[in-house]
Amino acid sequence: MAALPEEIKAAMQGVIPSHVVTCARDGTPNATAISQVYWVDPQHVALSHQFFSKTVKNVRENPRALAWVISPQTFDTWDIELEFDHAETSGPVFDALDMQIEAIASLVGLKGVFKLKSADIYRVVSVTKTEGERIPLADIVEPGAGR
Amino acid sequence: MIPDRVLEVLTGPAIMFAGTRDADLRGLHTMAVGAFAHDDRRTVTFFVPEGRSTKLLDNLRDNGRVAFDFGWMSHEAYQFKGAYLSSRPTTDEDRARQDAYRAQLVASLREVFPEEIARPLALGYVYVPGVAVTFRVDEVFLQTPGPGAGTRLA
Repeated sequence: MAALPEEIKAAMQGVIPSHVVTCARDGTPNATAISQVYWVDPQHVALSHQFFSKTVKNVRENPRALAWVISPQTFDTWDIELEFDHAETSGPVFDALDMQIEAIASLVGLKGVFKLKSADIYRVVSVTKTEGERIPLADIVEPGAGR
Repeated sequence: MIPDRVLEVLTGPAIMFAGTRDADLRGLHTMAVGAFAHDDRRTVTFFVPEGRSTKLLDNLRDNGRVAFDFGWMSHEAYQFKGAYLSSRPTTDEDRARQDAYRAQLVASLREVFPEEIARPLALGYVYVPGVAVTFRVDEVFLQTPGPGAGTRLA
C-alpha cells in the first residue's frame, strides 16, 4: 500500500473537480467527474456515493479505480490508483464528507442535489505525480499569443 | 446518432477526459484538449498530449474500449462509450481547433473561478505535440449531477 504525500492535500479540498475511471467486469471503462476525493488518512481516501451509480456498481465487481486530482495552488496533478475497501453510511468520515459535499453543492448552486448515500472507502495502491500533462505556470500563454 | 445538444456541449467549453483500461482491468485517466465529431455524428476525435499518449494507445490497441467524459461549468455533462478506430499526430488544422477550444474554455472558466485559477486551469494543459485519437461512439449517457445521471440517451 502507498501513502499519499502531504502536498496532495490541496488537490483534495474539492476546489476543482476530480475525475474517476473505473472498469466493469466485462471490460467496459467508465469515466466521471466527482466533486471531491476526500483524504481519510495517508493510506485511504473516500469517494462520495451520490448518484454516479456506474462507478459504484463497477468497484463492487472490480475494486480497482483510478482517481485524478489537481491542486488549485500549484496545478500539479496526480493519478491515484485505488482499491475499493468498504462503504460507510454513518460515522465521522461519512459526516465530514456529507458536510463537505453540501458545502461544495451550495457554492455551485446545486444545494440539495448531492444527497450522500455512503462514503466509499478506498485503499491507496499507488500515487503518481503526472508528467507530460501540465505546462509550467510561467510558460502558459493566452490562445493566439503563440506557443 | 449523437444528439444535437450533446454535440453542442462537446464542441463548447467543456472539460474533457478519456477513460481507458489495461488487460488487467485497471483504469487510466487522460486529459483531452479539444474534440470534435465527424459528419456521420457517430465518430469523434479528441486530442491528447503526446507525452501522455503512450499508455492510452497501449490500452486502446489492446482492447479498444473508450469512455469519454465531457462537461461544462454549468455541470451539464455527458459520457460517450465506444470503440477505438485510429490515432495520428495532430495537424495544423487540429491545433487551430485546439486554440479555439482553449479560448472558449478560459472565457468560460473566468465566469466561475478567479483569474489565478481560471487561466492555469484552462490553458495549462500541454497540447503540442499532440495525438488525435478517433473512436466510434456506441453509447451516449447523461452525466449531469442529479437523479438522471447515468441515463442512456443514445
